[in-house]
Amino acid sequence: MTALETAQAAPPGEKARGGQTNIFSIPAVWSRTPWTGKIGLITITVIMLLAFAAPWIAPYDPNEIDLINRLTGPSGAHWLGVDNFGRDVLSRLLYGGRLALFIAAISVVISIVVGTLIGAASGQIGGFFDEAAMRFVDLSLGFPTFIIALVIVAILGPGFFSLILALSFLGWTPYARLVRGQTLSINSQQFIEAAEALGCSRWFIITRHIVPHTINPVLAMGFLRFGHMLIRIGALSYLGLGVQPPDADWGAMLREAQPYMQREPWLIIFPGLAIFISALAVTLAGQGLTHAFDARAAHATISASLVAEEQAR
Amino acid sequence: MLMFALRRLGFVAVVLLVVSIFAFLVPYVTGRDPAREILQSRVAERAPDEEVLEAIREELGLNESLFVQYQRWLGSAVEGDLGYSMVSKEPVGELLVNALQITFLLTTVTLTFSLLVSLPMGALAAARRGGWLDNAIVAVTQTGVAIPEYWLGPLLILLFALTLGLVPSAGLRGPEYLVLPALTLALRPIAYITRISRAAMLDVLSSPYITAARARGLSYAKTVVRHGIRNASLPVLSVFAMWFAGLLGGSVVVEVIFAVPGMGRLMYEGVLNSDIPLIQAGLMTIVALAVVFNVLADLLYTVIDPTVKLRR
Repeated sequence: MTALETAQAAPPGEKARGGQTNIFSIPAVWSRTPWTGKIGLITITVIMLLAFAAPWIAPYDPNEIDLINRLTGPSGAHWLGVDNFGRDVLSRLLYGGRLALFIAAISVVISIVVGTLIGAASGQIGGFFDEAAMRFVDLSLGFPTFIIALVIVAILGPGFFSLILALSFLGWTPYARLVRGQTLSINSQQFIEAAEALGCSRWFIITRHIVPHTINPVLAMGFLRFGHMLIRIGALSYLGLGVQPPDADWGAMLREAQPYMQREPWLIIFPGLAIFISALAVTLAGQGLTHAFDARAAHATISASLVAEEQAR
Repeated sequence: MLMFALRRLGFVAVVLLVVSIFAFLVPYVTGRDPAREILQSRVAERAPDEEVLEAIREELGLNESLFVQYQRWLGSAVEGDLGYSMVSKEPVGELLVNALQITFLLTTVTLTFSLLVSLPMGALAAARRGGWLDNAIVAVTQTGVAIPEYWLGPLLILLFALTLGLVPSAGLRGPEYLVLPALTLALRPIAYITRISRAAMLDVLSSPYITAARARGLSYAKTVVRHGIRNASLPVLSVFAMWFAGLLGGSVVVEVIFAVPGMGRLMYEGVLNSDIPLIQAGLMTIVALAVVFNVLADLLYTVIDPTVKLRR
């Protein structure tokens, strides 16, 4: 967050406008996103497109084994070299992001929906529900969430759904805290009072008034968390509990390459670089969007985004 | 204060109870039959004898209702009997205590190092706000959190252990074995604590009492030391406590990479071997530790900052 806060001096005209940016107006958001955020957005889009297009652009079949040419370095035929089974590293890299990116995206969406609903309900209903929910959120920030995810995956067996469940299980808590805070500040405004006076139901107020007002910071936080999800999925795959062989995955590639790293260092450099660049890109994008959505709230969301990141152990 | 502590304790008790139910149910979710697994581990037979299975179930009390079994499990857990590992046959309690000591050591070394690096960096960045040094520090911390530990770890091994031969790459037979795991593990705490301390320092430095202190003629350095650090320490402490609690659960990835026999690796091996008593007790222990640390940190705030409201 802070790089933007300092590196990005918004033009005076824009600063005066302040307030919220309509998130549905893409040019408005884009023009207010700092350059770091733009780079992040472009990079992650390119990575997603490459992963999506892997079947068409990959030069080789990622699982094609060629034991005669195993562990040869980058060459004209294999730009990024060949791994210990003689599989083309570039093709495996292109395929390696598909599942991880997809699972991370779904987990983030589930966490956002659950967290927003619980947070909004917490702020709206208050009382015992609020206290219990928020105490739990506070406590869960100290939980060793990775081990809990590990246990969940181990119990249910590695797979698509168990990975999503393991990542979403406690993934909603930072959103709940963020949305609750937003809800409390919106609650004191007159249009909520008016809606209550008109006899609108709680559900109506939450879905029509509170959720639209909190969507910007939540979306920005979603980007920030996406990177951590990606790193965690890679960690699970690295430990052999994520994406299963022979499917290509960045984390699994790192584990497979480790015994050969002294001989052929590129084998561990490229997959790690792929995770690193993706995670960095979404983080920059998230911070840029935080800034673009609401210049005035940039300071307020510092703590929120830090909370989002802290939990990502 | 007393009411506050009581409320907190009550809530903590409820959370721990829920976690204990969750941990207890672990083996039942898998849908596996513990009696069958025990028998199969004793005799290598494909189709076990139903009568023997029944006897084992009777002996272990597996025929009783889940509630009765849970009560019995919790009862003996509270008395300190956590059962025996299904793999090594050692008491789970002992395994956990040994692993916790190692993880505690690694955590302490890691976080001390992190603090030593990140507090000066954060303060420096805040003092030079907007300058090139500030931008550089912020950029480094942003990059740092995007580096996966399972990438950095092997790279450090490759560079410092295999190529340069400065430090050992795996195991834990002396202080030098802690260098690489602590370095790898410190990356993220360094990044977060730097950013938190920078943000906290900026916050404090823009407060009216700092302006007042400066107006009274106090030097900049003295202002920062007398008024800045104490007030900026609260958010830093909060993050520190969170990291400490989280790291005590053990970092699976780092402990596996560097073959450190701590909590993370113990749990990982337990998970791989479906060592149910170990998973149950391990989950319970790390969550309980996290909860206790959270409450302690909360109480500590009230000591450091008297204005913190006890009931949020």
